[in-house]
Amino acid sequence: MSKSTRPGRSGRGSGTVTVIEQRVHRSAAENARFAFILTAIVTALVTLVVAKSHMHPLLAAFVAIPVAAVCGGIIWALVRSWPVLRLIWWWTPEILATVLTAWGWTVLAASTPGLLTAAILAVIVGVPAGVPVLRRWTVALFWCVAVRHRLRVCFSQFIITNRSGSLPLILGARPTPIGERVWVLLRPGLSLTYLTQQLDKIAVACHASSVLIEQAGRGNAAFVRFDIKRREVLTASVNSPLIDVIDPAIPLDDKEPATVTGLDLPDVDDIPATTPDKPKAAANSRKPATAAATDGDDINEWI
Amino acid sequence: MSTTARHPLGTDRVPVGPGMSMFDPMFIGIDEFGQHVSLDIVFHNLLTAGEPGAGKSGLLNNVAATAALCDNTRLVLFDGKWVELGPYIDIADEFVGDDIEKGLSILRRLLTVARNRYLWLLANRRRKIAREDNLSTIVTIIDELAMYLKVLGTKEQQAEFESLLRGLVSIGRACGMPVVAATQRPSWDIIAASLRDLFGYRCAFRCTTVGSSDVILGSGWADLGYSASDIDMENRGAAWLLGEGTVPKRIKVAYLTDADIYAIADYAAWLRRPNHGTPANFTVPAARLDWEMAA
Repeated sequence: MSKSTRPGRSGRGSGTVTVIEQRVHRSAAENARFAFILTAIVTALVTLVVAKSHMHPLLAAFVAIPVAAVCGGIIWALVRSWPVLRLIWWWTPEILATVLTAWGWTVLAASTPGLLTAAILAVIVGVPAGVPVLRRWTVALFWCVAVRHRLRVCFSQFIITNRSGSLPLILGARPTPIGERVWVLLRPGLSLTYLTQQLDKIAVACHASSVLIEQAGRGNAAFVRFDIKRREVLTASVNSPLIDVIDPAIPLDDKEPATVTGLDLPDVDDIPATTPDKPKAAANSRKPATAAATDGDDINEWI
Repeated sequence: MSTTARHPLGTDRVPVGPGMSMFDPMFIGIDEFGQHVSLDIVFHNLLTAGEPGAGKSGLLNNVAATAALCDNTRLVLFDGKWVELGPYIDIADEFVGDDIEKGLSILRRLLTVARNRYLWLLANRRRKIAREDNLSTIVTIIDELAMYLKVLGTKEQQAEFESLLRGLVSIGRACGMPVVAATQRPSWDIIAASLRDLFGYRCAFRCTTVGSSDVILGSGWADLGYSASDIDMENRGAAWLLGEGTVPKRIKVAYLTDADIYAIADYAAWLRRPNHGTPANFTVPAARLDWEMAA
């Protein structure tokens, strides 16, 4: 793993690629040092208290110091390597898929003749591609994996708002009829309102038509969910389930349609004007439109 | 499975509904995430509005069809156009077409029932009815509300209609007598904001202007991006629903064809027939050759 010598740049000019940013390194080093000290102190005290009941306090100190050093060292190593561990964890689906594909291909190629290998490969690739249901599931799974990375790109490129540069915790993603739904635990510095203003940019980064965000649950404002929208479902026809609960062939008696007349204008005689319940105002005494419309009511009472 | 409903006079028990209840969530369509949208109609009033052909009647028919198939549920229907809710005329306890005087009489009866139910609740140390009370749910559905408030009858009758409707909407919710109303635009000359705000659910189908959308959903929503004027004219049944939650959400109402509606209505009529005899006899009133417009 290499790191760039100039933080904030891609490092291509110097022949290196930034995998973990400099400030993340610094943060991890500081955290590791702090974790080592804290762990060592706590472990030493606990060991000292326990060992003191079995031996002289001075001897107990000689036991506590190496125990504290070992425990602190383990914690230091974990925290120091956390950026790498996090990366491995973050890319676990891709790493597993790559390893399985490579391993499977090797085994397949080694144990079957060429034509059979090609046939099996055609089935493995062709069936998910040819069967619509499997194809949709495969594409949905791909986007669920991809969209988490795209969201992380959004957070790291234009959403970070805290000094340490820590990114929100991107939790699970699952396919929905319109795209994907991703749950995210925000870090201090972000809010639902702020993210709502960034939805256009997030949609572009996620190659989606639009993105919606809502608070997931009511208990924690940091727990939000993103709905990545790639398809529109509201243009589809929605059927009512009521049709499925009725019997379409019920034994109803045939009813004769009622006879209705007066279906055309010549069939209806002249109708005399009805008497108004209030005398109309004189033609010249026009009231203001508002007063006439509300019939004397206060317009503020209405919309 | 057939269950029974109580006759208002307690004289018979009529088999109704394939196990459905108005106390269950009522499916009306899907939201923009493809998830089902269900309403709790028993304890909420619903106001729907939008331009002609936008899908209001589709929503009303979803409610009416569900109520028709539900156990222990009565329908009171007001339809100035006759044909939107007309399919349920055989099973409705009351159906009002263009006779506003009959409509006023029915509203007075409904308010009396509501008052009696509250006295019953008071006597039983309760504040609202529950499924276990075995009281029927009386669903009042009004299509073309403007007909009763601005077109039919005299001004006094229209004013009384609005007054009675306001009373029913105000107090019917907790006693199992919800109101579902539809109009093309609930502007100040159709329905007062104070009456509109009594409806817990508000559904805005496509409108021609941003102002119209705000009139339905409430002032200020259009500025926040929730405007029914943005709905595609060709996408009938799409709407903004303001109900549960803090903001309106986009929905698509389930569509029932005419054949579906009549099939459901016929099936409900067959289920509700006492002793499975012939359906309730209904004769279409004689065609009118006059028309009493508002003075």
